[in-house]
Amino acid sequence: MRDSWLTIRALTARAMNEVLRVPGGAIPGILAPTIFMLGLSSVFGEAARLPGFTAEDFRTYIVPVGLLQGAAFAGAATGVNMARDIERGWFDRLLLAPQPRGVVLAGLVSSAAFRSLLPGTFLVIVALILGVHLPSLLGILLTIVLIMGLAAVMACWGSVVALRFRTQQAAPLIQILGFVAVLFTTAYAPFALLTPWLRAIAHVNPVTYVLEGIRQGFVGDVTWADTWPALLAVAGLLVLLGAWAVRSMRRFGT
Amino acid sequence: MMFVATLALARRALRGLLRRPQFVAPLVLFPTVFLAVNVGGLSRTTDLPGFPHVNGFLDFQLSAGITQSLLLGGVSAGIAVALEIEMGFFDRLAAAPIPRVSMIMGRIAAAAVIAIFQALYFIVLGLVFGAQIEGGVLGLLIVLLIASLAGTGFAAMGVMLALLAKNASTVQGIFPLVFVILFVSSAFFPRALLEEPARTIARFNPLSYISDGMRDPIISSVSWGPVLEGIAAALGLVIVFVGLSVVALRGRLRDA
Amino acid sequence: MAAIAARALERRYKSGLQAVAGIDLTVEPGEVYGFLGPNGAGKTTTVRMLVTLLRPTGGEATVAGYDVATQPGEVRKRIGVALQEAALDPLMTGVELMELQATLHGIPKGDVVARSSDLIERVGLVEARDRRVGTYSGGMKRRLDLAMALIHRPEVLFLDEPTTGLDPVSRLTLWEEVRRLRDEGTTVFLTTQYLEEADVLADRVGIISGGRIVVEGTPAALKAQVGRPHLDITLTPDADVDRARSVVSPHGELQPPTEDVHLRLTVDHGSASIAPVVRALDEAGLTVAGMQLVEPTLDDVFVQQTGSHLEGAGAPAA
Repeated sequence: MRDSWLTIRALTARAMNEVLRVPGGAIPGILAPTIFMLGLSSVFGEAARLPGFTAEDFRTYIVPVGLLQGAAFAGAATGVNMARDIERGWFDRLLLAPQPRGVVLAGLVSSAAFRSLLPGTFLVIVALILGVHLPSLLGILLTIVLIMGLAAVMACWGSVVALRFRTQQAAPLIQILGFVAVLFTTAYAPFALLTPWLRAIAHVNPVTYVLEGIRQGFVGDVTWADTWPALLAVAGLLVLLGAWAVRSMRRFGT
Repeated sequence: MMFVATLALARRALRGLLRRPQFVAPLVLFPTVFLAVNVGGLSRTTDLPGFPHVNGFLDFQLSAGITQSLLLGGVSAGIAVALEIEMGFFDRLAAAPIPRVSMIMGRIAAAAVIAIFQALYFIVLGLVFGAQIEGGVLGLLIVLLIASLAGTGFAAMGVMLALLAKNASTVQGIFPLVFVILFVSSAFFPRALLEEPARTIARFNPLSYISDGMRDPIISSVSWGPVLEGIAAALGLVIVFVGLSVVALRGRLRDA
Repeated sequence: MAAIAARALERRYKSGLQAVAGIDLTVEPGEVYGFLGPNGAGKTTTVRMLVTLLRPTGGEATVAGYDVATQPGEVRKRIGVALQEAALDPLMTGVELMELQATLHGIPKGDVVARSSDLIERVGLVEARDRRVGTYSGGMKRRLDLAMALIHRPEVLFLDEPTTGLDPVSRLTLWEEVRRLRDEGTTVFLTTQYLEEADVLADRVGIISGGRIVVEGTPAALKAQVGRPHLDITLTPDADVDRARSVVSPHGELQPPTEDVHLRLTVDHGSASIAPVVRALDEAGLTVAGMQLVEPTLDDVFVQQTGSHLEGAGAPAA
């Protein structure tokens, strides 16, 4: 048991090298959600004037979207790195370790959860400077849990794709799902203002509830009613995609 | 001779694209997703005072999707050239008895053709989902013309970046920048309704005129003002970036 | 109990390609087994199956007493693997990689640092230990890879083409290390395309071609099957060849001469036969312009079995 914990810690530390030891390599990923948020709010800012909009200004409304995008991107990057490691042969080394495949996967996925805090922190700082209302401590803690959870979910998805295709060229496949998952929600507008088809999709998309779980603190108070669906969604996705990823790990090389 | 070499290299660029569909997907898929989400989420903004008269928000957004796709095509052309340089294929071309300019003209010319298909994709997509081209056949031809010119200009820009940057990762890092420039234009939203400082920047951003030029024939019958501005902006980009990429090419060949 | 035992081991890919078509082999504990064959013969596929990275589609294999298909975890605890592509992370330093490998193999936390340092010293990388692996030369990477493979003191060590692409000095160093490991009791399964390497290092050699083992045995025994060494002798242009023939005939078996040489003599004692022959010619007043002892090589063995040459036959002698 101790072995497993040490392994997870060691693999997580290694993954952070890519952020810490490659100068400038992580910068696009850290900046992107903020750029997106700034651009989106300067373009569509007037939308907040529509009757039925549930926030005072568009920027506050979409900051949570940026946080989730950062998480999705961190998760996707983990998957792309795995594909690269498979191509390079490094992954063989991990497979030759006498550790259960689930432990190795946990080590790889947990790094995504920590990485997701980087773009998120940057985004929150910029938002704060621009006058966006931040949640209470409880809201912030909840936000952190949800962001890390979604990053881990996306990392599992990225792992599944990486193990299936074994090449970095599969990167767009990983990234596009993250993009779609985060945007086909109440990203830009509340349910009532969405077109019927998008409303239907947003209702069944679990990420919508994660988004609302984060957003509640920004636009108002944190309530249990908006919190439990978010936690359930993240937990459910983690169980499902985690199981799929572990299965893919076990079947790799057969 | 230049024509023959350029044609051969253009055909190569096109074949390369078709044989690797995973490179086509991001070009078109990503702007489609963005288009869908914009329309799905913000259709009601057509009710805002100051929004021009449209059949639907989709009609308004189509030209944004096209512009975005063309920009990504330009970045993609740049990455392709950067990879060629890295792999040494570029040096092989330089050693061949072809006019220097053909080395890059092939890919730029191919972009003109690919752009037409990119634009057609969005037009068809729009029609399927209920948009209408108010300007009729003439309108469609104008959209294709501006798209082709703009696509050529963006590809030239991408090629120029590749010649200056020398490696593919740097060109790839430009990708987020593409978004920034497009956001501070009137591509996605009417200029009058943008917040500052986006509104002022959009006034000077050629992407505004290119998008508006393609948008006009879709949402209304052809008005020559915006259309000519669009053609001029696109043509301007072509001239500027083709010129700059030739200069960059000469510089690279001299230093190599 | 054999260190490695494979029976009818087979790997057929989903595309239908039969990379390995039925391998039987046995490696005794403490042996150095040379697995020799041209590129594409199925060496790497076989190794990957033995180290549990690839599942066999037919047959079975046990390594260190455990079945590779049903007990892969137990196998991994007892084997060390250094694969063809020294799979290292360029952003990490040598010592960081050693310690990561130690952690992955369940070495107790207190022992990790000590063991890592010992092995780094053993392979001669002390000065480079805190440098990023991306700055290492090819030889240094291989050495680190080997050290990493030994961190958990495996019973069986798999080395897949360990000296491909290395300079002669690095190659010799690695050979030294293999000998030392054998002396310490580690079983070494060595894949190579260089017949000299197999000849020099291996206790026994298995030659693979087209997914099957075509011949197996000690290098000496295999070569003896092909033939005995012979002396190729060239005399001065005006020499009395017939006289020379009668002078040397007591020392071996005369063979038909070829275009290039005047005399060809099969000898029984290898290089020990040279001196008597030279003396005999000298006493008869005949001057030797050139002499070469030609011994059968494993390539000759390969040619005899398959009709074609091993690709690595032209590898430079260390």
